[in-house]
Amino acid sequence: MKNPVTVASGTFGYGEEYDRYFDVGRLGAVTTKSLTLKPWAGNRPPRIVETPAGLLNAIGLQNVGIDAYLDTKLGFLRDKGVPIIANIYGRAPEDYAELAGRLEQAAGADAVEANLSCPNVHDAKTARGATLVAQEPDKVLAYTKAIRSATKLPLFVKLTPNVVNICDAALAAQEGGADGVSLINTLLGMAIDSETRRPRLANIVGGLSGPCIRPVAVKMVWDAAKVLDIPIIAMGGICRPADAIEFLLAGATAVAVGSMTFRQPDAAVRVIDGIADYLERHGFDRVQDIIGAMSKTPETWPG
Amino acid sequence: MPCVAECPITMHEEVAPGHYRIAVHAPEIARAAKPGQFAMLEVAPGYAPFLRRPMSFERIFGDGVSFLVKVEGEGTRLLARLAAGQALSVQGPLGNGFSIENAYERHILVAGGIGVAPLPALAEALIPLGSRAPEVIVAARNERLLLCEDEFRQMGCVVHVATDDGTAGEKALATEMIEGLDPAPGTCVYACGPMPMLAAVAKMMIARNVDCQVSLEARMACGDGACLGCVVESKGEREGGDMVLVCTDGPVFDAGVIDWDR
Repeated sequence: MKNPVTVASGTFGYGEEYDRYFDVGRLGAVTTKSLTLKPWAGNRPPRIVETPAGLLNAIGLQNVGIDAYLDTKLGFLRDKGVPIIANIYGRAPEDYAELAGRLEQAAGADAVEANLSCPNVHDAKTARGATLVAQEPDKVLAYTKAIRSATKLPLFVKLTPNVVNICDAALAAQEGGADGVSLINTLLGMAIDSETRRPRLANIVGGLSGPCIRPVAVKMVWDAAKVLDIPIIAMGGICRPADAIEFLLAGATAVAVGSMTFRQPDAAVRVIDGIADYLERHGFDRVQDIIGAMSKTPETWPG
Repeated sequence: MPCVAECPITMHEEVAPGHYRIAVHAPEIARAAKPGQFAMLEVAPGYAPFLRRPMSFERIFGDGVSFLVKVEGEGTRLLARLAAGQALSVQGPLGNGFSIENAYERHILVAGGIGVAPLPALAEALIPLGSRAPEVIVAARNERLLLCEDEFRQMGCVVHVATDDGTAGEKALATEMIEGLDPAPGTCVYACGPMPMLAAVAKMMIARNVDCQVSLEARMACGDGACLGCVVESKGEREGGDMVLVCTDGPVFDAGVIDWDR
């Protein structure tokens, strides 16, 4: 990556959508919408609802499927010359392994991000409050091992914040052979219209994103960075360069801009430029110099 | 190509109770905009509300565009509080506009309530096409909520007014009004309004073998086809499922594309 900034899966389509606003080739990497073995229709509408400083979504992994990705979406990204992190989703470890293997075989990605944490897939078990894969460290280990054995591509495992201790899942991914973890996916949430008494999402439950979740994400990145030997791609409400720097200081190696792209299409390149400005302003030579560089002395106010 | 521009507000007026016309100076967007397309408007400088709001172009001028905004929630309330001279961040033009062809003998526009929003720009584009003036049905709950009636008349359209309570024009629904105009093949109907009205108009036109374009509204996060939040159910067997995106597949659809019974 020529800079430490990518985009969060599901907020950037397959890249072409936003090339109308800026040169997508400027990104450190493009992370694709989740890919599945077959095309998925996703959930019924309504799929999104705005909440204070963010939004809930229950898209349900609508995607074109890996075949259409390779046939119709990959070409644009390859022409751009931008590194590709292909996000993949499946119902079983074998699905992930097959997707990763096919991506490598077809040169369809430069890295794989395994989504073990989508909260919005139709699944009676999840609706009753059962677990996402990434809520069970044993499963994270098994899934990661299965994907690892299927590909030599750099492998990132995307984890859920809906856990008691993020370190357990993160360490399981590391043990399973992941090259890094992506933190965090959306927080589970829901919203009800008080007047009609109806849920605002057809799926009832959705994933919360946007600036409202940033403090939760920063804390999880900080927790995980203390125990991991592998890098973290951090995401969760990054809107401005200062938000991205917060994650780097907490211990992330790279960052992803997510929902803010909906508000400001070129938010990610503003973050790229802003990080460069920050490094210069503070006299750092390289972005590596600020990774995990949070001071141990709390701020005082007034200063 | 769409862009994001900080646009000075050139006009901000309440045109009916809770309804506002906001015009902005936006030469680049105005040059690219087509009737039926929309823009995403930033409603607050901070992050609450976080998302932009989609608004269709009411009029497209040489150096700017206008929007009609109905106060429905927090975002539109903030738009209503803006004033001329302030700046508004406008992202657009987005989506697909109306298909405008001179092959038709007759053009009928049907507006239900705030659904009138994209139709003045369309009427303006239809006027030069033929000798027969476009007909416009302007329907609203009552007289005070009638929008753009004078605007359509000044353009040279034939205007038919209907209100639910009979305080202006005929006491009738938009669907009853269009039935009274007896559209036949060779006519194109363009409709925008509440979903039940659109469903009724669409089904009637399909049954009459009359071409009909509908402009749909949906909650959107991005407006660019990325978030996949603004789907409606369609009849077609599309790759990946039977959903279409209001933002990039629409917001104007052929009436036959949408599954009106869902």
